[in-house]
Amino acid sequence: MTGNNLADYLTLGLLMFSIGAVGVIVRRNPVVIFMCIELMLNAVNLTFLAFARYMPSSAPASGREASFMSGQMMVIFVMAVAAAEVAVGLGIIMAIYRLRKDVDVDEMNLMSG
Amino acid sequence: MGDYIAIVILVGLAAVICGAMVSLSFVLGPKNTTPYKQSPYECGVQPLGDARERFPIKFYLVAMLFILFDIEVVFLWSWLTVFKNADLAYQTFSFGAVMVYMVLWIIGDAYVIRVNAIDWDETTSLHPAKLGEPDPAALPVTARDLELVGGAR
Amino acid sequence: MTTFTVLAIVAVLAALGVVLFSSPVRSAICLVVNFFVLAFVYFILNAELLGITQIIVYTGAIMVLFLFVIMLLNLGGPQAWKERREFRTVLGFGFGAALAGVIASQLITHFREHSRPFADDGYGSPQAIGRVLFTQYVWPFEVASVLLLVGIVGSILLAKRKL
Repeated sequence: MTGNNLADYLTLGLLMFSIGAVGVIVRRNPVVIFMCIELMLNAVNLTFLAFARYMPSSAPASGREASFMSGQMMVIFVMAVAAAEVAVGLGIIMAIYRLRKDVDVDEMNLMSG
Repeated sequence: MGDYIAIVILVGLAAVICGAMVSLSFVLGPKNTTPYKQSPYECGVQPLGDARERFPIKFYLVAMLFILFDIEVVFLWSWLTVFKNADLAYQTFSFGAVMVYMVLWIIGDAYVIRVNAIDWDETTSLHPAKLGEPDPAALPVTARDLELVGGAR
Repeated sequence: MTTFTVLAIVAVLAALGVVLFSSPVRSAICLVVNFFVLAFVYFILNAELLGITQIIVYTGAIMVLFLFVIMLLNLGGPQAWKERREFRTVLGFGFGAALAGVIASQLITHFREHSRPFADDGYGSPQAIGRVLFTQYVWPFEVASVLLLVGIVGSILLAKRKL
């Protein structure tokens, strides 16, 4: 697959990240906000992979493999952390719902001082 | 990417066959609709209440534990593809690492079983009544439900 | 139009759908499409293990959990609340456009000339990842398993009222 360059992948990642950030600001449903955070995490994963594939490093030949494996390792660990984060985060949303019968984020102001 | 052409063909064939089944039966099939046919159940009782009922929480617990064990399997998958053909130093070292990993996994598994998190039995698990929520089945029958039942007769 | 262009357009449209649909179930379905398409972008980048992991973990498992929560909390019902249209919406979209504009103008233009893949074609195979994961990255790997254990215990404690 030739014909693509690094900037194309970065543009896709940037668009997804910006849309996710807009969603976090605009939406009030915590589950949808959570989805937008997942969108941003995936945009970052895509950026890591694009750099891993395309970005030449100044490392010597022996460290060359390490430089393009590190991006993929980062993505794997981001996925593992995201799985744990989703399980616990959705558990928190359900616990809040159980307490308040309502999950509007604008109404959750108990800790706003 | 060339190695995956077979999978792409498989996905394409599956899409074509499923799409053909659904769309052709929709286009070619005879249609005479009656209100009774349009009801959710053609044979049986009239549906009561709303389809958007709240699910018991035990579905959530099972799905959530599935995710966490799922990602643990992904790590093991990349290990077992290398293990067989690797040299001895890699084999011993990674075997030790994976054993530590498996011990942590088994601790998690034992905890799940210990607290009955995936226990489907409702007497020990999470029946809505035990959570302090009103049980949908125990709610008084509304006038609308009665009307629906009356309409069936 | 390369394959990547088509996939990118679908991904961006699905991402917009997540934000713009007011029903959370529709947002979740759009997110499934986005993650699935992104897996194919990973395949184009030759990151095979990560593409398959994306499908298994994100579209397979995480989205099921999202849909379960929507149904558990009954957020998708006809009485789902209206998203208020207020100044914050305009502000949010303006902020997003500004973020995209700044990063695009300042950073992305510098990477136009990198059109030749640097990594080897097989850099994303399970073998290559397994070899590195259990030698150089074995410590993060063990820490990740501890994190998953904490995730299991924590989410059970949060979701179950009575242990």
